[in-house]
Amino acid sequence: MPFTLTETFKTRAALVCARYPRKDAALIPLLQELQREKGYVAEEAMDALAVFLGLPYSRVKAVVTFYTMFNRVPAGKYHLQVCRNVSCHMAGAPGLLARLREKLGIAEGETTKDGLFTLSAVECLGACGTAPVMQVNDTYFEKLDAGKLDALLEDLRHGRLRAIGR
Amino acid sequence: MPKLTIDGKTLEVAKGTTVLEAAQQLGVHVPRYCYHPKLSVSGNCRMCLVEVEKSPKLLTACSTEAAEGMVVHTATEKVKAARRDVLEYLLLNHPLDCPVCDQAGECGLQDYYMEHSRAKSRFPAEDKVRRQKRRPLGPHLVLDNERCILCTRCVRFCAEVTKTAELEVMERGDRSFIDLKEGRALDNGYSLNIADVCPVGAWTSRDFRFKQRVWFLKKTPTVCLGCATGCLTEVHHNEGAIYRVMPRPNAETNTWLCDAGRMVYKAVQAGDRLAKGVIKNGLIELEPALRETASRIDENHAAAAVLGSPWLSVEDNAALARLAKDALKTENFSFDFNAEQGIKDGILINKDPAPNAAGARRVKAACGGLSFGELAAKVASGAVKVLVTEARAAALLKNELKAGGARLIVFAANRSEIPQGAYATLPYANYFETPGTFVNFQGLERRTVPAVAAPEGVRPLWAMVNRLAVYSGTSLHLDSAEAALKGIL
Amino acid sequence: MENILLKDKVESLEGYFAAGGYRPLKKALAMKPAEITEEVKRSGLRGRGGAGFPTGLKWSFIPKDAQGPRYLVCNADEGEPGTFKDRELMLKNPHALIEGMAIAGYAIGAGAGYIYIRGEFAAEADLLEREIFAARGKGFIGSNILGSGFSFELYVHRGAGAYICGEETALLESLEGFKGQPRLKPPFPAVKGLFGAPTVINNVETLAAVPAIIEKGGAWYASIGTPKSAGTKLFCVSGPVNKPGVYELPLGVSFKELLEKHCGGLKAGVRLKAVIPGGSSTPVLTAAEAMAAALDYESLAAAGSMLGSGAVIVIPEGQCMVKLLQVLARFYHHESCGQCTPCREGCGWIEKILNRLEEGRGTARDIETLYSAADGMLGRTICPLADAMAMPVMSFVKKFREEFEAHAAGRCCAPEAAGKH
Repeated sequence: MPFTLTETFKTRAALVCARYPRKDAALIPLLQELQREKGYVAEEAMDALAVFLGLPYSRVKAVVTFYTMFNRVPAGKYHLQVCRNVSCHMAGAPGLLARLREKLGIAEGETTKDGLFTLSAVECLGACGTAPVMQVNDTYFEKLDAGKLDALLEDLRHGRLRAIGR
Repeated sequence: MPKLTIDGKTLEVAKGTTVLEAAQQLGVHVPRYCYHPKLSVSGNCRMCLVEVEKSPKLLTACSTEAAEGMVVHTATEKVKAARRDVLEYLLLNHPLDCPVCDQAGECGLQDYYMEHSRAKSRFPAEDKVRRQKRRPLGPHLVLDNERCILCTRCVRFCAEVTKTAELEVMERGDRSFIDLKEGRALDNGYSLNIADVCPVGAWTSRDFRFKQRVWFLKKTPTVCLGCATGCLTEVHHNEGAIYRVMPRPNAETNTWLCDAGRMVYKAVQAGDRLAKGVIKNGLIELEPALRETASRIDENHAAAAVLGSPWLSVEDNAALARLAKDALKTENFSFDFNAEQGIKDGILINKDPAPNAAGARRVKAACGGLSFGELAAKVASGAVKVLVTEARAAALLKNELKAGGARLIVFAANRSEIPQGAYATLPYANYFETPGTFVNFQGLERRTVPAVAAPEGVRPLWAMVNRLAVYSGTSLHLDSAEAALKGIL
Repeated sequence: MENILLKDKVESLEGYFAAGGYRPLKKALAMKPAEITEEVKRSGLRGRGGAGFPTGLKWSFIPKDAQGPRYLVCNADEGEPGTFKDRELMLKNPHALIEGMAIAGYAIGAGAGYIYIRGEFAAEADLLEREIFAARGKGFIGSNILGSGFSFELYVHRGAGAYICGEETALLESLEGFKGQPRLKPPFPAVKGLFGAPTVINNVETLAAVPAIIEKGGAWYASIGTPKSAGTKLFCVSGPVNKPGVYELPLGVSFKELLEKHCGGLKAGVRLKAVIPGGSSTPVLTAAEAMAAALDYESLAAAGSMLGSGAVIVIPEGQCMVKLLQVLARFYHHESCGQCTPCREGCGWIEKILNRLEEGRGTARDIETLYSAADGMLGRTICPLADAMAMPVMSFVKKFREEFEAHAAGRCCAPEAAGKH
């Protein structure tokens, strides 16, 4: 199916492009916008955006593959991103990851069959003072432990994504 | 004009010259992979690190501009250690499949390893990053990502020279690889230059792969006859067969060579090479063919005409002019070719597909003759009963020949060139086989150098013309290419 | 000492204004741009992102005669493991950054500024957008600021997941819509930066210190801290301490004071093994070295490490150093942009050697190879990411060699920790 950029997207894109003297600088914000709309950036979306910005497709693809936050396949409704770097590691991130693997029955990089959860181990999220940390979609969950994690999963299963504070 | 010292030798260079270029002027070769004189500086391979006094770190010679008083060392222990290390890193994930690699013998990794490293691998083979191997990408190339050292010369070539930007480095870190859009062919008209700029065996030519090991190849410098640009080339051949044609970079015309130009040799080496004459579609020995042709011309002596050819050398055109003037004694000849010339794609390919219109016009300047239009009118009117020309030039008069019904006698190198309805076809030595002078669109005279021998009995066109005249009872004294050129250039 | 950066009740524009905020901007706009740069030079403020380059000097590199646009870029791509100060600062005191940028923009003659914030900080980016909008409403940002004739637009630009974009030229590439691969220098950004125009790139903490310097004077700021390391610094402490978090303290404070007085000491039952004093790329200090160290640029350099971003990672006894280094190597391997040969290949090599040692497949020779693989990367790449990998490797191997040897001999040095991973 051919991919078409929505009118909403185009309106928003015009505003984003206006922030920069060269419109190709809007490439990353616009990819984020596309991901926000669809949950991931499909090949066809890269193509459409390349045409929209007058860029070679290869540049768009190279950018998408360089940055880790672009999903190239649809992710679950909740993308659980567990920090595994030093401070979180010392604060028990490996245990949290193991717990999630076990409870969700998936490994890092996989999505549950019901499409609810995608599990990822990620690098430093910049919240080391409140380690261990997990980001769910855009929201940070800090100072986690097994109990908080279980409660959070329960919330998410009921469609409640709410910040629990630090 | 900064003055700097490299390895104890002082020189003055133009402002903006890099240390690498300055070293080159002194004959000092700084090893490099990503640097290419005609591409932007990337500085990624780190092979050209040199020591510059007062700089705490080694600097890349490719990106460091020469400055007044700079003192550079390219062979200190520190530099050598850096090179060894860079080579070790480059080879970590390299498959080391040299025995089956077509780049062997002209590989930057092999060459520099022998010169700068010779260290044993400290990296277990099972730890190597695996990448996609042997993927045909487009009509001319095969990509082996496992051998790639990510120098990005190919990426920069497509971005900066062809401006097609098909290629990019995807992903990051040691997961990076060169790729283009899925399903898209790498076919930008200049794609084989990518195999040339690739310093390793990642990009190889589909045409050349596994045909010949490079160390057997002999190299002959010559000229491309694919169009009026007249690029300088180097023909690589062995035992009478041509294997590839490479660009011979020069300031006047070309750094690169187009894919079409590289493939010109395929046509002349195709299975239909003419070694005998053809009379009315029947192959006959050369001498009877010449005799038959001469007598057909003699029959219509008074109504014979000669058309030169922008595909022939100045020598061969001059011989045809002599045939018209001194043997046929006719005014019906033309060496007047005025196709529009100029680079049509902004890179190399000329608007005029013929290589020597300017050379033919030199013959016209010396020998006179009709304009192309005047000759065409005479052919169309039926006033010309027999026309002698070269096969591809004959196509320029296709309609006129049909209208006027003149008997067509052509010189052709390959059977596929023979125009329909040609009465007689005579073979001649092509310009991979015989020297010839060509004048490109800029007016530069360039000479082809024979790389391989013509088939037994086949001689240069000027010599064939000489024989033809003898059969007609005239001696043109065309004993050499120089004799043909007399009074022309 | 009163905090300069981390204050209470200044999250909103109203609160910030009530606490005297945006007075420095008004004062600055009445000064000549060059006077502001001089004041910042006088303050001794140095880059808080990690490199510690004198801020006023950096501003002064913008060519005086440069025609066309100039840009100010704030590096909020906080990603150095152990570092979480900029996030805290943006959440608690966003207007110090916004005002600092307006002043810096005026000083260097920039008409526009961009805050490049790491993509994961979505909430922080939204907050900044909101607060910039509020500041624009009051005429602190936008055209003809406070009637001065000076105009300055400010935009928030989110990254997309790449640690390397914290390197200033990779950040510029990313901001222009490319892969974040560091540029060759020269030319330096001050001459040819964002969109080819003269550009200054400063860290969040650096820019947020500017309003106070303008208000109270460079000399006042220089009187805080040590003679060469002036001012306060945000120290981010993570690891098994009682009160991890961000602390604003004068440079030169001792690690001992930071740990015991401010962080409430080590957690019960924990003994100090080592400290990474300035973010994961800085060489590790042993417990003894750390307890004797003062936290400023010079003292830490003298101790064989670096102040870096001020990220103090506390490592307890029982923590396996080989495992910890493996975690770091995995990170740098993941984040290497892949441009330069030594970094692209070396980071993966190092991680693979550490994997072998961790999994009990290593040999004594691996330790030498590990060290030399790191040594070969040092100082030979376009940007310092290779060094950031090499320095921890070399310092870990040097200072905790017996743990690596134990691994090579097939036993983990810290069994109790080994159980956890």
